[in-house]
Amino acid sequence: MQTETQNQTEVVPTSAPMTGSNRNKVQALATRYGIVIAFFLLCVVLSFLNKYFLTTGNVVNILQQTSINGILALGMTLVILTGGIDLSVGSVMAISSMVAATFVSGDHPRSLWLVVPLGLSVGAFLGFINGLTVAYLKVPSFVATLGMLSVARGITYAYTDGQPVPNLSDTFLSLGEGTVLGVPLPIVVLAVLFGFLWWVLTHTTYGRSIYAVGGNVRSARAAGISTKRITASVYIFSGALAAMGGLVLAARTSAALPQAGVGYELDAIAAVVIGGTSLTGGVGSAAGTLLGALIIGTINNGLDILGVSSAYQQIVKGAIIIVAVLLDYSRHSNE
Amino acid sequence: MLLRARGVAKAFSGVPALSNGQLDLQAGSIHALCGGNGAGKSTFLNIITGTLRRDSGTIRFKGKEVDFHGPKEALDAGISIITQELSPIPGMTVAENLYLGQLPLRFGLAVDWPTLYQRAEELLGTLGFKINPRRQMRELSLAQIQLVEIAKAMNREDSSVLIMDEPTSALGEQEAELLFASVRRLAALGKGIIYVSHRMTEIFKLCDAYTVFRDGQFVATGQTKDTDRKQLVSAIIGRNYQDQFPATKAQITATPLLRVKHLGVRGRLDDINLEVYPGEVLGIYGLGGSGRSRFLSTLYGLNRMDSGEVSLNEQRVRIKSPRDAIRHGVALVTEDRKTTGLVLTSSVKENISLSSLPRLSWFGIIKRMREMEWTNRWMQALRIKAASTKLEVRFMSGGNQQKVVLARALETEPKLLLLDEPTRGVDAGAKQEIYGFVENHRQKGNGVIMVSSEVDEMLGISTRIIVFRRGKIAAHFENLNLSGADLLHAAS
Amino acid sequence: MLKKMIAVGLCALSTSAGAQAAEKTKVGAAPYGLRAEFANLWVAALKKHPEVTSGKVELTVFDGRYDAVVQNNQIATMITQHFDAIEMIPVDFNGSAPQMKKAKAANIPVVISNSRVNSPDIVSTIECDDVKAGEIIMEAAAKKMGGKGNVVVFQGPIGSAGELDRSKGVKSVLAKYPDIKVLEMKTANWSRAEGLALMENWLTAHPNQINGIIGENDEMALGAIQAVKSHGLNPKDFAIVGVDGVVDAINAVKAGEMFSILQDAEGQAQGGLDLVLHAKLGDSYTPKANVWKQWEKEMPWDGGKGKEYLIPWTVITQANADQIIQHQKDLMSK
Repeated sequence: MQTETQNQTEVVPTSAPMTGSNRNKVQALATRYGIVIAFFLLCVVLSFLNKYFLTTGNVVNILQQTSINGILALGMTLVILTGGIDLSVGSVMAISSMVAATFVSGDHPRSLWLVVPLGLSVGAFLGFINGLTVAYLKVPSFVATLGMLSVARGITYAYTDGQPVPNLSDTFLSLGEGTVLGVPLPIVVLAVLFGFLWWVLTHTTYGRSIYAVGGNVRSARAAGISTKRITASVYIFSGALAAMGGLVLAARTSAALPQAGVGYELDAIAAVVIGGTSLTGGVGSAAGTLLGALIIGTINNGLDILGVSSAYQQIVKGAIIIVAVLLDYSRHSNE
Repeated sequence: MLLRARGVAKAFSGVPALSNGQLDLQAGSIHALCGGNGAGKSTFLNIITGTLRRDSGTIRFKGKEVDFHGPKEALDAGISIITQELSPIPGMTVAENLYLGQLPLRFGLAVDWPTLYQRAEELLGTLGFKINPRRQMRELSLAQIQLVEIAKAMNREDSSVLIMDEPTSALGEQEAELLFASVRRLAALGKGIIYVSHRMTEIFKLCDAYTVFRDGQFVATGQTKDTDRKQLVSAIIGRNYQDQFPATKAQITATPLLRVKHLGVRGRLDDINLEVYPGEVLGIYGLGGSGRSRFLSTLYGLNRMDSGEVSLNEQRVRIKSPRDAIRHGVALVTEDRKTTGLVLTSSVKENISLSSLPRLSWFGIIKRMREMEWTNRWMQALRIKAASTKLEVRFMSGGNQQKVVLARALETEPKLLLLDEPTRGVDAGAKQEIYGFVENHRQKGNGVIMVSSEVDEMLGISTRIIVFRRGKIAAHFENLNLSGADLLHAAS
Repeated sequence: MLKKMIAVGLCALSTSAGAQAAEKTKVGAAPYGLRAEFANLWVAALKKHPEVTSGKVELTVFDGRYDAVVQNNQIATMITQHFDAIEMIPVDFNGSAPQMKKAKAANIPVVISNSRVNSPDIVSTIECDDVKAGEIIMEAAAKKMGGKGNVVVFQGPIGSAGELDRSKGVKSVLAKYPDIKVLEMKTANWSRAEGLALMENWLTAHPNQINGIIGENDEMALGAIQAVKSHGLNPKDFAIVGVDGVVDAINAVKAGEMFSILQDAEGQAQGGLDLVLHAKLGDSYTPKANVWKQWEKEMPWDGGKGKEYLIPWTVITQANADQIIQHQKDLMSK
């Protein structure tokens, strides 16, 4: 992840004279590395304060606790890169996991190969509706997804009369507790999704188009990008990833709970923003978001193991979000 | 004499913007203030309305020497201006907009609505504007909004001078007529009106007097009935061209690259017929709102066309989106690089390759080596100066930014290159370079359509010129042995 | 939307009531919100009350949506619609006093179920004693730990009535065991996901030191069990306790992983309806709910005149687990 950050800021020297200002580039570098440095400092301080912080077990803890928010935040990154926002992820994860869970609960659980795609399709479908509403009906994303937040949550409660779906099959539970080569599956899922989205954003025309749409939708259209299709598609990604987060959450809590994921959209947005993605779109990276999610996870974990009250956790988290946005603004006002 | 200005001068950090501003305005007169870009009109008007302080010269208003320290002083004295940017508050009624900041109050607290509407009705009635003061601003047409702005400027009893800066630039013909009638009525009420416009037709229709500025200097003044279009345009232009452009002109060959037949866009363009042949630069000249930009964006698929047909190499094509256009070998450099050209937050490389991504990728995966190669090639070819291909374009100069947009268009290898004001806001050096690239592209046997407001550039690099006026083709010049006056004459 | 549906429902109600004269008793049921497993069980139990099934009582359910203002508006609606009686689970202990006063003035009796309100104007309260619950679970944990060791405590949302009372009970018992040390005490907001993360972090902060896990509700305790398992530990090696008796918790009790006590939704709902109907109809009304027979000694009917009825907690055991689950399923079936 650190190497990726370096890649992003790598400067290719050319023989042409410098016209862009040096100061700006130095600041941009500082902003990007600032987050890495902040994360590093956070880890150093915490490992001094608590001898267990830097143990393998605790690192696994942090990664595992980051996994769900990280998965949501990756989807959110795509949406925010286009200049939109997806407030419905918390609700979408709940309904997706509920639907999937009903197929793995009880005496005749279906195979994961059926249930996981099913859950993801539910999320993708709701995301698809978000995308249509935003891109083609021109409803502001804040409003469209706020509506979906309510609708999807309502469906969740209606689906099982507010009852949780327990007794999930062991194979399904392995999504939360299973391991691959000793690494817990949620971490593996996060890592794979991160790698995939990093690749999509940096190596594909689709990723390029997302940045262009978020940076300037009119220019993107004039340059021949199908801006509506791109805008709609990011919500599908976000919905599907929310569903994935929901499946992992259900597996970790060993039941699909109708109130699962309430307020999760805020943590996901926070991770994206802390990771340096601009809320106005066009600027940001998957690596930044992963780092943002890790910072939130690490703070929660660190303050828990230091025995700090949850009230202070909220204060610290809020302060970090504001500082991150301030950094973002200072970067944009450099012009 | 309502207003008399003599020898008004103003310099910005040593560079003179206006060196000898002069104007005599009679009460009851509609006085045209003419001049090209950079003639010093705006500076002069800003001084009269108190936005700027003059360095020297005298201004006498109603016989008294004045020196306004700010727009409010000028307003209080009775001089108002209606600029091109209107600022209505859409959610408020006409009456509220008229009396914003001076609403009549009842008991010093609540708005006295009956009085407000009564006053507004009286004011609009006196001016002869047929607008219901209870309507919301958002329900009004552009012309009506303009009338409200005029009424707002006139609602002070002592208001005597009204300055209008290109008031018809966004209006249709009928709306313009409505506006003219109102302006005449104001003049009949004894107000003095300074009317700025580039449209000769309007000036001769509406104004009784004129004053011409050029290069910050007063050039001529007089009564419109004593002059004609050619004289006036010559006074405005007064310059020699054609010495700074590539001289070669194209031979028109048999098959046209582009053929447009009866193209129409409702309310914007009507029955456009033209051809572009390989190896030529077709210049399209026209005033703002004449439909020239709309024509390019329609060809490029940014707007829908309502009627007519477009053929490339005699093959009928339907271009529904810029994507289609690029696939057919048509590329557009838009008028405003910041709002519709560049993705400012992205890098030079990303901006240049944006339109060529399909050709730079394999099943959606970008071939990064080739992308880098192409980017470097175009950066060298167009002499784009950047410390790195990863520099965000917002940190670049205007000329370099414009070259990036041009590079993007050229990288798609277009048979037909559409340029909308390709040198706007670009310094002289970069301008020359851009002319060279256009000429180069033309010489390779491609076609170019260029829209420009700069007469000398139009005459300099076009092989043929078509003039648009109010959505129609007004003139067609094959023989370019003509002057800027001819163009301006045809366009207005 | 919901409001509209209620309004439509109310219209239908008032016309039918008009047609069938005054024989039917209109009762409004106002749970804090229909999102929780418990509230749904509570509503289902109400609908199975003999007076409701026989049609003598016409029941309308209002979803308080976890918002005291919403709930107060609903009470006001019930008053203007001339409901005969109200049974409610308040969103907030202090949030409803003025509405209670208005209901009393309108001669509409109110019985509070499952919780309490800070108002003198209600008929009575029927609930399970949360202080007692705290005591029971802490005693159970202490017993399993042999009276010594280290515990962590998951609290409810700080300041909520349930958290205050259950914490009080837990602390009063802890005071009796000087050898039990509290390592951590923090809120997980009744949430399983929060309980999971918190327990993981505590297991890190206090490796091999935690003996007892006190959940002030089942959800948090269940989250803790997940964390214990994912750390490769055996829940049976811990004294894990919770309150409420949600389905997953009953299953965990069956598996020997935790101790929990049952919050009797049926008793609270149906007993409350008996109390409020008695208040409206007078002594001619005899209680119908099973809960009065079940706890004849511990909680006598007392002529329906009591102010506070405390239903004893049922300890969930491997023996009664299946029976409880089956009973809840029967309740929920339509």
